[in-house]
Amino acid sequence: MDRKIAIMVLSGVEDGALIPLSMADDGELLGIQWRVSIGRREDNHLRLRNDTFVSRYHAYLHWRDDQWWLEDRDSTNGTFLDNGTDFFSDIQVKGIVPIQAGQPFRVGRTWLRIQTDE
Amino acid sequence: MSYVALKDILIAARQESHRMRHFYLGIEHLFIALLEIHNGLASGLLTEHGLTPSYVIDAIRRKVGKGSQHRLWAGIPNTPRTELILNIAQEMAMEEGRDAVNERDLLLAILDENDSIATRVLNALGVSPDQARDAISNQPRTRTQTQQTFLKIEFASDFEGHLTKDELFVLRRMFHGYGRIVVEQQLTGGYTSARLLVVRPIQVDNRADAAVVVKIGNADAILDEAQRYERYVKGTLPPLTARLEDRPTAPETCDLAAIRYTLIADANGRTQNLRDVIQDWSGDHLLSWLRQQLYEGFGESWWKQSRPYRFEAWQEYDWLLPPVLTLELFAPEKMPTGVHVLRHPVKRDVIRKLQYGDLVLVENFIVQKVDRERGAIQLGLSQGSHITRAYKIEVRGIDFEQETYFRGEVVEKLIGRVWKTRNEQLINALRILEPDFNIDSRVVQLGDQALPNPIATYQTLLDATVVANLSTIHGDLHLGNILVGPQLSALLIDFGRTRDGHTIFDWVTLEMSLINERLRPLAAPGWEGARQCAQWIADLDSGQASANGNSVTADMLNVIAGIRQIASQHANSWHEYYLAAAFVSLRAMTWTTLSVDGRRLMLYLSALAIQRYQQRKLSDDSARTDIHASDATDFMSNDWKSN
Repeated sequence: MDRKIAIMVLSGVEDGALIPLSMADDGELLGIQWRVSIGRREDNHLRLRNDTFVSRYHAYLHWRDDQWWLEDRDSTNGTFLDNGTDFFSDIQVKGIVPIQAGQPFRVGRTWLRIQTDE
Repeated sequence: MSYVALKDILIAARQESHRMRHFYLGIEHLFIALLEIHNGLASGLLTEHGLTPSYVIDAIRRKVGKGSQHRLWAGIPNTPRTELILNIAQEMAMEEGRDAVNERDLLLAILDENDSIATRVLNALGVSPDQARDAISNQPRTRTQTQQTFLKIEFASDFEGHLTKDELFVLRRMFHGYGRIVVEQQLTGGYTSARLLVVRPIQVDNRADAAVVVKIGNADAILDEAQRYERYVKGTLPPLTARLEDRPTAPETCDLAAIRYTLIADANGRTQNLRDVIQDWSGDHLLSWLRQQLYEGFGESWWKQSRPYRFEAWQEYDWLLPPVLTLELFAPEKMPTGVHVLRHPVKRDVIRKLQYGDLVLVENFIVQKVDRERGAIQLGLSQGSHITRAYKIEVRGIDFEQETYFRGEVVEKLIGRVWKTRNEQLINALRILEPDFNIDSRVVQLGDQALPNPIATYQTLLDATVVANLSTIHGDLHLGNILVGPQLSALLIDFGRTRDGHTIFDWVTLEMSLINERLRPLAAPGWEGARQCAQWIADLDSGQASANGNSVTADMLNVIAGIRQIASQHANSWHEYYLAAAFVSLRAMTWTTLSVDGRRLMLYLSALAIQRYQQRKLSDDSARTDIHASDATDFMSNDWKSN
């Protein structure tokens, strides 16, 4: 089955842009999980070319067990989750953490959000 | 006067983008431009919510961060969201038969869209974009001047003190809509410059409302206090206590802001802080009050929530001391050689060796204060995204015309020349104690005891690892911040330093406050009295009844012992207590508001605490060996959890 999502850019020069991704055409399928790589280099599935704080290979988004996961790939400037209680101190992602659709996350300086159709 | 046109807003927005090195035009820049409009719709909206435009502007800048030096594209393109919002604004203007978009259209469009950084920041600061939208759309389509009724301010006959023009202005704004207010009383505050007043508002029909405690101070500090209250204090208070009422009043045109706390006065309608009340209290009464009202009243949600916390002393205590360095900004064409680098983790050895004129490169420090008048900023160490107050560095000689700095900004690189070191600052503060005290001496003599000179030893204490407890703490629990309400209930005010921190810090602060204000006056003036008073504490430390067995003194010492007992329930070892005491008294020594006698005493107390710390540390660390500290008979040792 195909799964279609979009990533909304929430900051920077591309603020407001919507990047569609589909399981059939984008990312890679590894057994039971779907993986989308995020980074500054052009061979990423989701390329963030305009943020110098983004590493060449910065992070992965995984879909597995009916759940989204965010993984930091030892990036220089880190991957962060929005902190529900304290808006000004973001929660740094160490390893792989679950993430909800709609929850903002930050790759370098760029804030992103998973949008689903449901 | 009409609404500002879009083209003028765009100019300001592009300037903001440029200052932040963003080089695109985003909603954050447009919103900041809207906030910068003097008496504009956006700033009026925030003022109603108790926020100043500059506070919100800094919050947005902090969230977004400054861009990097190199540009990746030409010009200043609009973001997709900017395009979208400008279209919405354009439609709004056209619905009203106008071609040109104005301030009101743009603000409504931003609030309508409700997914930009601007509205996310508003939400985080407690302003609902939906409600704000309704409020703005109810405003007239052309600007009208609102008329201000003039509030009369009266003073109680026994009121002493003089309010400045700005303070009166803030009061007028806060009590807008009342007929008059009576300033009944000034509460002696702490060591801050903020003013605490008891104010009774009176309705136009002469009906008096309940009096409130109003705190007026620097706008940033007041707004921070309100945010801290929301985060740490609200919802944790015992039922009958001072609460923050309403939102802060922060007029746009003034550097001051005010907040008000509910006041629950005693039968005579007066509010008294602990400092005033205890003049008539016996030691026993005071101690049982501290236990039952203060500790039991606030303990459940504060100190008793303590959990294990291992920290290095500098993390909790470095910020109490003067800035570790004062730098003169230096902007070379290219990176000079021989630069000392300061970054996380800071090597204190590097700082110790720095001298006047040395070049220092500071990396990834956070801007904590911006002082435009003095052309200075204050930096603090950032660890990841967590802001600590450790390693304050003051940077002077900044031209704010050339470079923007905002609170909360992470400064990636900054070079300066050392202007003053912390040691120089501390020594300057101690000069006043010369010539009777030799700053360069290794020891401070107290009777037959040679205590370590705090100036020579405090640095090694900063390196100590402490196994302790963490909880929400008030952060400035001195006698003036504790009020006594009806049925003798405890009320706290001033939550400007409330945070999660070293649990016993509050009790050490209270002890020092009590020693300075209640115990010291019982001793003789001058050095003799300072030594006498320090000796009492030294005797207390080692569990001896004081040779100077005056009953009033013994009474007060008993209270101090009681405070230590309360603290001991949340500490792992005595050296943890002495460590905190060493820094709290060392800080007090630098207060210019403290009397010379007070500073003399604090010098001794700090020296004493450092000595005790070193002894206890030694004995705690080597429980398996046969080393016994000289004060092994410590009368409180039995209460102590062994570790």
